[in-house]
Amino acid sequence: VIDQLLGAARVNGGADALWRREERTAVAFEAGRLKTAGVTEEAGVNLRLVSGGRVGVAGTTAAAPDLEELVARARASAELGEHLELGFPPTSPLPRVPTFFDRAANASLDQLIVMGRHLVERLAREGCQVNVVIEREVGETAVGNSAGARGGYPATGVGVTAEIVRIVADDVLMIYDQYVGGDLPTDGDLDALVRSIETRLEPALSVVSPPEGALPVVFTPAGLAAIVLPLEQALSGKMVLQGTSPLAGRVGEQVLDARLSITDDPLAAGGPASRPIDDECVPSATTPLVERGVVRGFVYDLETAARAQSRSTGNGRRGIFGKPVIRYTNLIVGDLRPTPDAPGRGAWDVGRALGGGLLDGIADGLIVDDLIGVGQGNVIGGGFSHPVGLAYRVERGTITGRVKDAAVAGNVYDLLKRIAGFGTDGRWLGARWSPSLRLDGVSVARR
Amino acid sequence: LKDRLAAALKASRADYTEIRVERTWSSAVTYRGRRLETATVSEDQGGFVRSLNRGCGWGIASFTSLDALPAMVARANELSRAVRLDKPIRLADTAPHVADAALDLDGDVRGISLAEKKNLIEAYNGAMLAVSDAVVDTQASYRDEVSEVWYVNSEGTALAQLRPEVAVSGTAIARRNGTIEKGLASIGLRKGWRSVHGLEQRFRVAARRAVDLLDAPRVQGGAYPVILDNELAGVFIHEAFGHLSEADFVYENPQAREMMTLGRRFGKPVLNVGDNGAAPHLRGTLPFDDEGTPTQDTPLIQEGILVGRLHSRETAAALGERPTGNARAISFRHPPIVRMTNTYIGPGPAGRGCADLIKDVKLGVYACGAFGGQTMLENFSFTAAWGHMIRDGHVAELVKDVVLAGNLFQTLDRIDHIAGDFTWNQMGGGCGKGGQVPLPVTEGAPHVRIEEALVGGDV
Repeated sequence: VIDQLLGAARVNGGADALWRREERTAVAFEAGRLKTAGVTEEAGVNLRLVSGGRVGVAGTTAAAPDLEELVARARASAELGEHLELGFPPTSPLPRVPTFFDRAANASLDQLIVMGRHLVERLAREGCQVNVVIEREVGETAVGNSAGARGGYPATGVGVTAEIVRIVADDVLMIYDQYVGGDLPTDGDLDALVRSIETRLEPALSVVSPPEGALPVVFTPAGLAAIVLPLEQALSGKMVLQGTSPLAGRVGEQVLDARLSITDDPLAAGGPASRPIDDECVPSATTPLVERGVVRGFVYDLETAARAQSRSTGNGRRGIFGKPVIRYTNLIVGDLRPTPDAPGRGAWDVGRALGGGLLDGIADGLIVDDLIGVGQGNVIGGGFSHPVGLAYRVERGTITGRVKDAAVAGNVYDLLKRIAGFGTDGRWLGARWSPSLRLDGVSVARR
Repeated sequence: LKDRLAAALKASRADYTEIRVERTWSSAVTYRGRRLETATVSEDQGGFVRSLNRGCGWGIASFTSLDALPAMVARANELSRAVRLDKPIRLADTAPHVADAALDLDGDVRGISLAEKKNLIEAYNGAMLAVSDAVVDTQASYRDEVSEVWYVNSEGTALAQLRPEVAVSGTAIARRNGTIEKGLASIGLRKGWRSVHGLEQRFRVAARRAVDLLDAPRVQGGAYPVILDNELAGVFIHEAFGHLSEADFVYENPQAREMMTLGRRFGKPVLNVGDNGAAPHLRGTLPFDDEGTPTQDTPLIQEGILVGRLHSRETAAALGERPTGNARAISFRHPPIVRMTNTYIGPGPAGRGCADLIKDVKLGVYACGAFGGQTMLENFSFTAAWGHMIRDGHVAELVKDVVLAGNLFQTLDRIDHIAGDFTWNQMGGGCGKGGQVPLPVTEGAPHVRIEEALVGGDV
């Protein structure tokens, strides 16, 4: 399809295309019972071309796409498109990174059901509703461009999400965790998932009043989303070009704590977003963004690289419709990184449990595991303010219970200048790997 | 196509089968700063089959290749049979409907050139950029679609629906040194080309707001009396209560059922809440939901008392109630789940306005506009686009980062005054649940006063 489409495009400015097919199988357990089994099949093609110096895109999910019609739509899009000299990359050798796992691809519906049932049984508790969803995806991607580059890879993906809802009178407690990976979870992965939920559940059973003031707060890998999000935006080449990144023009400067590094790594072993080539034919490579607190660079796709006179970092991601956009692959955040020996899965012991050993010396503070409304404020400026979804009070170094009706606020750039501690609980959460971080001086408000 | 659907249905060996096929034509134009980012026309199509057998669970299949329809009908049946259930799934009865229900396209967007759409959004984008040099970045988007949806089920329902949508939205980013602020304008309608003209002022105001916020202090955290404007009050009721009224949250959970017992008091007698999927010309409006049930106006809270909830056929049967036409799917890629449509807080006494709610507040917050909201059922957040302090009964200085922390049982009950100035707020974007986002919904509300609510911020 790629060759035919590029042939049909016949434009002097060049073209590139992506074809993707995905088949997803999902089983859903609701309130402990298997209720639904489903499959999703989807295939489509996305074409971008440069016609008269202008860029246009078009896509279709039609089973037997009319290539001429697709090209005509892309040309119509180019008539309004911007003038841009896209540098379509030439063919080059691709790094080796596993994306396809036979065990995952060959797992039968029954196997997925058995895995889910087992998980439900282990999580079952009096008065708790357990919901589990297991999804397995088998896909294939092919990309190509008019400069002769061709690439492609098969991929598998498995997602296991587990949720406990516990309602006692008017108290609603929801605890959620997930496994996301290319391969089926091992027994160790599932043990870790169960223990991770148990670790959150037990201290949450009693509710205590929240503290108030500028306090030390431990953000777990899950709770860290609100802290990392402004950095993700600021480290995007797009935001740099738009003049809205607070980190633009600061490459080489020490901006954050000297132990904090942030890396985009499509080659991370076992990373959920690992792949050998991006959706614009750029071979995958590791991109250091922040090294020991110093800004090193930004992520780019072909378009933003062309406009910034920089190079694509291989972060182009495209759907079937619309043009490619910048997307992180695996984002590694912290003082360490996952290693094959310690991938951050299956190694959940008491010392590394909730908070990652960061509670020592906290006279009064919080552990934040989930915040509500992340992404809905003025994110790019670095300020955040959110009610807690799941948080615990820490007094004299120990967890004393769950807090509700409290809100945390601060500015990420101020707080990350001095990180009070890094947990030893580094783990994958979706495609982000990080440990817990302890930040001091976070505003905690209560009613 | 209708014949193909009928034939596929007839070939199904499942006890219950439904098929939904969609063809969506859409176009989009986006500006970023002074640059045109994209201008595209897309066609998306696909189908969805769901089967149910006695003693078994749901089998579902979605696909983009319509040639696969007969195979997918067989597949859904197989999947259903693979799910063994001791407690059967029942569907509440609904009368079969056969209808062609085309919503008014109000200027069919398919007949308008991409260049005209570009000119429209370029003007709105330009209106934001012209406000001030401090506006360093903008994003302005025009998006439209016309969806043709065919739905058939084995009980005799056969529907053909035409669903239009059009949305224009703008984000203005203002920056001075290290301070960055944003302003948002968003209009989403279940209408067509004729309805999105003459909106420059909305975009200008959004950009002005971003610039003004550069000088505004962050709100001080703490508990305050809070007055919500119409827009934020709408988001509030969607997050605070709407999601709790979706029966899929309670129907399998005895404790949740108890917590949400009909007849329980949730608010003072001033509070009336409902969801109306049949309200004319709103973004969440549809003649039928995605199970073929006609939509309706469903009262949820009357004079502070819980009186109803939102249902699919499955949740209605499980709770012995009637389906309300709230089973919705964002596309053929997803099964229908219980969702809101147009959710509202009913108006208070005619003539009572915002000033009447503020006049006896000594120190409070007037929270305006909405950047969004999210719920974890008991606790929820709703983020204002901007706010003002209220001092001695008057609207005072502008403040920013106004994020409210709500608690279902406390915040609703603390609504003590409701104005009479009801409006529907038809924003773009949409609601997210179960991986299905954005679902077109509308919220409507008058100004609302909460005696005391927690506002996040420095303390």
